[in-house]
Amino acid sequence: MEGGLRPEGRAINLSTIYQGFKSSLRPLGLLGPAGLWLFLLMVLPTILIGELSFVPGLKPGQPILGYGLLNYLRILEPTYLQVLKRSATFATGTTLLCLLLGFPVAYWLALMAPKRWRNLLLVLFILPLWTSSLLRTYAWITLLRPSGVINLVLSTLGLPTQSLMNTPWAVYIGMTYSFLPYMVLILYASLERLDLSLLEAAADLGANPRVAFWRVTVPQTFPGIAAGGLLVFVTSLGDFVVPTLLGGPSSMTISRLIYNQFLGVARNWGFGSALSMVLILMVSAAISLLLKYGDRNPEMYS
Amino acid sequence: MPRRLSHNSSLLSRTSRRRFLQGSAAVLAGVGLSNCRRTVGNVDTAASETTAAAPSSGAAGDGVLHIYTWADYTDDELAAQFTEATGIDVKIDVYDSNETMLAKMQAGGGANYSLIYPSDYMVTEMIGLGMLTELDKSRLVGLDKILEKWQSPVYDPDSSHSVAFSWGTTGLLYNSEVLTTPPEDWNYLWENRDVLSRKLTMLDDVRETMGAVLSSLGYSYNATEPAQLEEAYKKLLDLKPALASFKSFGWQDELLSGDLLMSMVYSVEGIPVSLENPKFKYVIPASGSSVWTDTMVIPTSAPNVDAAYEWMNFNLQPKVSQETVERLFFATPNGEAMSMLSKELLDNKNLFPPEDLLAKCEGIAPVGDANALYDEYWTKVTSA
Repeated sequence: MEGGLRPEGRAINLSTIYQGFKSSLRPLGLLGPAGLWLFLLMVLPTILIGELSFVPGLKPGQPILGYGLLNYLRILEPTYLQVLKRSATFATGTTLLCLLLGFPVAYWLALMAPKRWRNLLLVLFILPLWTSSLLRTYAWITLLRPSGVINLVLSTLGLPTQSLMNTPWAVYIGMTYSFLPYMVLILYASLERLDLSLLEAAADLGANPRVAFWRVTVPQTFPGIAAGGLLVFVTSLGDFVVPTLLGGPSSMTISRLIYNQFLGVARNWGFGSALSMVLILMVSAAISLLLKYGDRNPEMYS
Repeated sequence: MPRRLSHNSSLLSRTSRRRFLQGSAAVLAGVGLSNCRRTVGNVDTAASETTAAAPSSGAAGDGVLHIYTWADYTDDELAAQFTEATGIDVKIDVYDSNETMLAKMQAGGGANYSLIYPSDYMVTEMIGLGMLTELDKSRLVGLDKILEKWQSPVYDPDSSHSVAFSWGTTGLLYNSEVLTTPPEDWNYLWENRDVLSRKLTMLDDVRETMGAVLSSLGYSYNATEPAQLEEAYKKLLDLKPALASFKSFGWQDELLSGDLLMSMVYSVEGIPVSLENPKFKYVIPASGSSVWTDTMVIPTSAPNVDAAYEWMNFNLQPKVSQETVERLFFATPNGEAMSMLSKELLDNKNLFPPEDLLAKCEGIAPVGDANALYDEYWTKVTSA
């Protein structure tokens, strides 16, 4: 601003602004197409849903009569809080299970598996993602149901059979299976660039492998753990297929509740929109946590 | 009321998933479009009426007829026969619930459909919303063959907007080798909770399942009294230890393999299973269940109205109706088609229940604001 006080300084400033404008045209032009799509397909629909969420009890075919917070207050009723709690529990449990199962696999893939096999092993791990998640969930019905494959194996071995189908456990199993590849992929990327010389240094300084793991490896890969955890949490929070098909009679989750508000008997689009906004907010909160505490160089993953 | 989509469970649910995705897309699109007019989901009737009028000036029955229906109400054979008879190509899309269909039509995603198949209560609702064309009866041949009961049904008193196409009931399909005392009424479920322990499915449909419980309590299937709904909700909670899941589709495999002992099903899905495998029996509970009618209607947004009338006339032919019934196992409201059916099918008490039992069954009727209450109790039941 100091320069702006002197006449010659203003002239320089104007030309730099012009220069800056000119040089920002190119990136703006390049961002344009993506930005337009993002605006049309994400920002605009979210704003529209946001607007509808403030119309209490809006039904299709009804004019918008007035705005209010009733839809949001309704979510605070115990019935719906229970649904939110169940969704969050399913998502948290799935994230922890994926981390528990995914970390050793990613560690082995990134650090221990023979180098020339690595890419192939990675592809094999991602292969299930190429089939529809619905088909994979149906496969779990075949495995889990009382006369299913798992119980057949158990009873042949003389072990007691399990009744997992239509329980929360079936949901955890199905969702963990569905989202494990995401976790492994991200942890792999993170572990692959782990600086091994740091581990050697730790060993030189007298750390045993366990201490080295907790004090060197884990902090080094924490951004990857956070990113993988977030991805699994966000996708499992909004999952519709697995709870519907495997969850049994007590598996109402937020995504099923939203579906019921739009296509079920109540057809309360206002309440459905409010629930959608809450889901969007929960996901945004998770993402902002990642941005704040997670990986500061996310481009390294791509 | 969802119907049998396919014999293969995974394929059928794929279909419904796809329907769901399309439905949600339609909903989103509808939210966007309708918002511009400050009225959500109001079909733009003015614009569509002009498009509806336009093709009728052309030669009768050309172009393509787009139909939106329950899966398997119209199989390839029926479409092929129609094309052969009239030269009109048929394109069929399917839905799995009246509500999905309504959402798509209201969102404007169904503008190319000339003919849809709503159930009874949905006909009333759509007439109320001004979404259905009043039928020109002079263009319909064979209406007189429809049984009297469906000439003036409750849902559309003088049949001015709909032609009855099929009807059926809701009931229980059970494994008679394990459940040796045949169930007779809804209360069987509560009395045999221990035997059924997580081997029972009920329909994933609020109105049907709550209706069944209401019926077991001696109330109407269409109760709107909050106290009665509360009582039904509590009774349904009592049944939860016996329930494996709420499922409208995909129970077939599990029932056949013995993982389930009993399922609440629509007759059009249950009867074929019982005919194929006598071990499984279909029963309509004695205190009454729901009886539904599906109809053919022309939406106000319909293009190619001529072809829609052709399709209605084609299906009104007794011979066509009889053949469809023999392939797809629904009851027909067409009197002359009934007289042509084999004695075996006519004597099937499940397909054509005796009058005194039918008198106890109720059609699902719109319940207005009580819908919100039904939905709330349903959320409570499924999240308890």
